[in-house]
Amino acid sequence: MPRTNRRTRRTLSIWAFALLLAGPSDADLPLEPVGRVATIKTPYSPHWVFVGDALGHRTALIDVEDGRMLGTLDSGFGIPQTLHPTRRSEIYVIETHYSRGSRGERSDVLTIYDKASLAPIAEVAIPPKRALSATPVAHVALSDDDRFAAIFNLTPASSLSIVDLEQRRFVSEIQMPGCSLVYPIGERRFAALCMNGSLLVIRLDDSGREVGKQRSQPFFDPETDPVTEKAARFGDRWLFPSFDGWIHPVDFSGPEPVFEERWSLTSERERADGWKIGGYQHLAVHEKSATLYALMHQGGIDSHKQPGSEVWFYDLTERERTRRVELVNPGFTYLGVPIEGGPTWGWLVDWIGDRVMHAIPDIGVDSIAVTLDDAPRLVTSGMFSGGIASFDALTGEFIGRVFSGNLTNAVIQTASPATPGPR
Amino acid sequence: MTRIDDWMARAARQLARRTSRRSLLAGLGGALLGGAAIPLLPVSRAFGREPQPGEPDPETPEGQANACEYWRYCSIDGFLSSCCGGTHNSCPPGTSMAPVTWIGTCRNPADGKEYVISYNDCCGKGPCGKCFCRRNEGDKPVYYTPKSNDIDWCMGTDSVVYNSTVAVVVGVAVEKG
Repeated sequence: MPRTNRRTRRTLSIWAFALLLAGPSDADLPLEPVGRVATIKTPYSPHWVFVGDALGHRTALIDVEDGRMLGTLDSGFGIPQTLHPTRRSEIYVIETHYSRGSRGERSDVLTIYDKASLAPIAEVAIPPKRALSATPVAHVALSDDDRFAAIFNLTPASSLSIVDLEQRRFVSEIQMPGCSLVYPIGERRFAALCMNGSLLVIRLDDSGREVGKQRSQPFFDPETDPVTEKAARFGDRWLFPSFDGWIHPVDFSGPEPVFEERWSLTSERERADGWKIGGYQHLAVHEKSATLYALMHQGGIDSHKQPGSEVWFYDLTERERTRRVELVNPGFTYLGVPIEGGPTWGWLVDWIGDRVMHAIPDIGVDSIAVTLDDAPRLVTSGMFSGGIASFDALTGEFIGRVFSGNLTNAVIQTASPATPGPR
Repeated sequence: MTRIDDWMARAARQLARRTSRRSLLAGLGGALLGGAAIPLLPVSRAFGREPQPGEPDPETPEGQANACEYWRYCSIDGFLSSCCGGTHNSCPPGTSMAPVTWIGTCRNPADGKEYVISYNDCCGKGPCGKCFCRRNEGDKPVYYTPKSNDIDWCMGTDSVVYNSTVAVVVGVAVEKG
């Protein structure tokens, strides 16, 4: 029997060799090289968005026009926190890893990804204490000149880690007792919100070290009507929305913050009807048209995280509402696979989806974002829905749904800031 | 037997011709989505439970430690340890309980008193995935740290990886009266 096996093997080898020698005939496809990896055209299209997955440890780059996935970035434990500079073709991802998956030695890093290849090109080790939370905003920030990154730490003592992005090194840790989160307010300044309703402004020198810290007077009451962390930037101003729907604008153009008169997202009647701001990422600004977008729902006390059923548009110059847009469901997925009805049953699946979304508040729209270009898109998603819906951000017209392939959609970030400043 | 086999094979081929794998998945998904809209039949979660002194009737949702409506969970936003291998005041096996927490104040319907509840996270294993509850009573934003349930409170433990949450009575807040 061994002899037969040897003979068979020899015969097979001869045939395989003959096949290898045989070149393609004219009718065959040309031979292709093995090992090619795609790259992405830069600059990015303004309608590409990063959608972060709280469970999948990644963020996906999606074209909201046609649903194409351009690629993904792995991001370690927690909701992905990414930063997008305008002056370098890089993306910064703040990551937490353990040497044995969920245990072992913890290491926190700021990983520098190349924007075209989406490959990591460098990393900066930071103190292993960055804050992790279900809130996907204001945990990391870039200085307005893209020189420094600030990362919010919570152990529960709170501080900022400062990373020099030109030198690619960790510079310093700045303590900020009683204050949390981080908002960029210039080239060498960051702001934080404090538990007593005040602001902390931290100034850096050109090496990234602290040169000054100043606490403001309280500008809201955290006991009766706290502002949410999910503020939006409009030029030199940050707009902080309160649980009851008041916008507290803070102007950071001068050396000290100026607290402007608050204004309401709702009329008295609407407030009485229970209209409130809610969700995980509930405010967005389109700078060029001076438009504010707020994710609204009808709910009772403590409904500040309830997903929204409408997005309300405001003219920021007049501080007036210009439009109310009733949201459609952003599309549902099962383990990342879209639940679609195709050309025949699509209308029925969408019809059921809309009713389910409005009947079960917990699976509605949690996040909104707006692209920064002249034909802006309002992009909406739900934490557990898996889909992404886009609207014309000037007219409110529904455009369509695309899918991220994520298990959860925890945060939407516009991938291509058109102008320096707001991110 | 052969005829049945033939019939099944024919039916399967016919079905395969009419439907792609994608549309089958879509159809199944649609059914699942539709199913989600139909209220689930009531299931007794209190099976085998004896009434505990000072706790509400285990036949009511306020007395069931694996229901979101359990009285101690008034400020919770996360997975219930009691559905994940632990109980309402002990963490699932192999996890560790974080010593620092956020707190809430919940009313016990059994005695009408307000209690201070410590929501300790159970850490060191990935998210449990069962009994996700979001009630948020008295919850504040992240900068109001002691009352913020969005924060991953797996601090002071070996791992920051979040699994689930317990609700421990740590004091009486206000006498009802």
